[in-house]
Amino acid sequence: MKKEETEIRLRAPITPVMTVYWFYRILIVFAFIMMFFPAFNPGRISLKISPYASLLTTGVSFSGITQNLGRAFTQGWVQKGSFILLMISAIVIISGSVFCGIGGCMSLGNNRMRKRGLQFSAAGSALMLPGLVGIFLAYSQVATTEHPSRIEPNFSSGFYIYSAVAILILILSLSLLLWLRTKVLEEKMRMEEKYALFLMFLPMIALAFVFAYLPLWGWRYAFFDYTAGGTLGRESFVGLKWFRFLFQNSATVKDIARVMRNTLIMSGLGLITSWLPMAFAIFLTEIRSNRFKRLVQTLTTIPNFISWVLIYAIALAIFSTDGFLNGLLSMLPFGPDSQINWLMSADNTWIKMLLWGIWKGIGWSAIIYIAAIAGIDPQLYEAATIDGAGRFGRIRHIVIPSLLPTYFVLLLMAIAGILSNGMEQYLVFSNALNRDKIEVLDLYVYNIGITDGRIPLSTVVGMAKSLVSVALLFFANRASKALRGENII
Amino acid sequence: MDNEVTINIKESGPPRFRRGTTDIVFDVFNIAVFSIFSLICIFPFYYLFINTISDNDLVGKGLINFYPVGINLSNYLALRDVSDLGNSFLVTIARTVLGTALMVAASGFAGYLVTKHKLWHRSLWYRFLVITMYFNAGLIPWYLNMLMLGLTNNFWAYIIPGIIAPYNIILVKTYIESIPKELEESAIMDGAGTITIFRKIIWPLAKPILATIAIFGAVGNWNSFQDSLILMQSSPELYTLQHRLYVYLQSASNLEAIMQGGSGASQVLTNSLNSKVVKYTISMATILPILLVYPFMQRFFVKGIMLGAVKG
Repeated sequence: MKKEETEIRLRAPITPVMTVYWFYRILIVFAFIMMFFPAFNPGRISLKISPYASLLTTGVSFSGITQNLGRAFTQGWVQKGSFILLMISAIVIISGSVFCGIGGCMSLGNNRMRKRGLQFSAAGSALMLPGLVGIFLAYSQVATTEHPSRIEPNFSSGFYIYSAVAILILILSLSLLLWLRTKVLEEKMRMEEKYALFLMFLPMIALAFVFAYLPLWGWRYAFFDYTAGGTLGRESFVGLKWFRFLFQNSATVKDIARVMRNTLIMSGLGLITSWLPMAFAIFLTEIRSNRFKRLVQTLTTIPNFISWVLIYAIALAIFSTDGFLNGLLSMLPFGPDSQINWLMSADNTWIKMLLWGIWKGIGWSAIIYIAAIAGIDPQLYEAATIDGAGRFGRIRHIVIPSLLPTYFVLLLMAIAGILSNGMEQYLVFSNALNRDKIEVLDLYVYNIGITDGRIPLSTVVGMAKSLVSVALLFFANRASKALRGENII
Repeated sequence: MDNEVTINIKESGPPRFRRGTTDIVFDVFNIAVFSIFSLICIFPFYYLFINTISDNDLVGKGLINFYPVGINLSNYLALRDVSDLGNSFLVTIARTVLGTALMVAASGFAGYLVTKHKLWHRSLWYRFLVITMYFNAGLIPWYLNMLMLGLTNNFWAYIIPGIIAPYNIILVKTYIESIPKELEESAIMDGAGTITIFRKIIWPLAKPILATIAIFGAVGNWNSFQDSLILMQSSPELYTLQHRLYVYLQSASNLEAIMQGGSGASQVLTNSLNSKVVKYTISMATILPILLVYPFMQRFFVKGIMLGAVKG
């Protein structure tokens, strides 16, 4: 009873003013996010400026915005000054946004702190206005060019959005400041601990948002006819064209079938051999000499820390025509006459890739099992010995059953990742001869997207892969829950 | 406690027992297989190494197989003349040091903050971070995003995205939760703020886990290849070492040109270079830092494998 009362007292009442505060904060967050989106960039005063340039890029890199304008400057079609003005204006707007952001953060404190915060955001939004005027001036200078077809002057809709946001923040800051005048302010600036902690955590949230969630926005490229450097407009919207293309274009269908075959075979081989690290651990712990065990562990774990590029370098040293193995074979009296090019040939590509994977990973993967074996209760061994179990009996009835849960979790994770083989290994080992056999899904997306520049198609493939992978992960989690009553994620 | 888990191989494995003939045969077979496999794991590195320190003419003929002949270090000295290589070394060292330091600091602080129940909407934000481990938008949207942020052909593309490592944050969080709460509470009584407590109490106590994520983060940075390949397409001066090596491996003829054209190379060297030797030497120079930190890494393996298991 008493507790409830205090809780009610502690919870701040939701007043209309508080609602206004939240609106004000959301607006500031929006103003901040807008800086990263090229779609909102008010500074794209010419279509020659990269469609990828956000306001932030405009303010940070002069060479970035003018990279397509070198000729325009030398020919005197536009003045460099206009673009310097543009960049300075962008910097002014960015600093205004930063001020607004500081103000928004401070608005989580007590009234005295809020007052200071509102002053900040009022100043910040007021600062954004001259910046916008500067962009407008730069635009009007560019628009008067004698060669509009070369410069393609453009008045971005982001300009209006930015102006509206800046004015709105200014009005809200000032009116909230007026409201604060009716209040008695505290002696010192303070902030509730929960908000203070949140503000310290905010940079992490922002980074995760920018680098993990923001890429999802790129899925929209799947619905447009897009070539690198182009724009996404209403006219280039093609709906599900690329999704249909994936199933209707015979060359693509063939590619996908081939790539899926490679992916599934390589993942399948990985699944089939996934017990090997467990066996490695069991047999290694059967060896008596601790020094030997430690030595084996040390040596077999090294390859795990070597990148695939370096492993390819090693492969070249050992298996290329002038490498170790061919040299050795040629010394044998009954060796082959000609040198064998193991790396170039397309024979047994899948097996070779599997073996490289095992060579690199088995010692490392075994560690988790070795740790698990070390954790087995010695009483279990004693009990088994009393029951008459020999060495192999103990392996069968004690060691393996105690490792199976770990194995099971790793197996489910491997099943969930069946489409994600990664591309590094296959990229470094691929060549003209084995390309058909080695191209897995991840590598295919890289090849068509980055190398060939077919961005919409590769986005569609990547999208499908991501969705299927998430579905598989949920399925694996369900299976784990049903079979063992434990989540794996 | 979690930090006590090291592979205590002495106490691992089944107890001793009397050995029969089957056991002896099994043991001999077992030891033989592991010996051979260990040899297969280490021999390539040894082979590369002896070829880089041997007489280059013999290497060119493929005569150095098991032991070095005519030992000299001139090949390593000749690396100074491969102009792009020094740049890549600097870039890679810079990203390894800076990227790892920022990642560890951020993971430590974020891991501490998510243990604070007072954090506003703690579980929501924690989930917000953790979910990112299980999905990604795909390579191309990621690339376009980096393009949009101006992080292509830009050194900071190596650093900033790597600051947030959700799995490391989970590891640190779990670890900090195992530290007795009383330590923190008494510091609060003494009037210490969040940042002071983190710096003076949490950071020193969490050092074992921070060292773990630091060393694995550093190896990851050293081995980084994909981001350089995709993001630095028109800035060869920003290639990482692995990317540079990849370029060299792909174009043997180019390498010959670099060596022949290398200004002082011919004077410095007592024996003639060939593309094979240069490849080997660059590879070895790239592997050596890993091999050097390797002995220090081993005690972090158990925590590291869990790191690898989830990251896939």
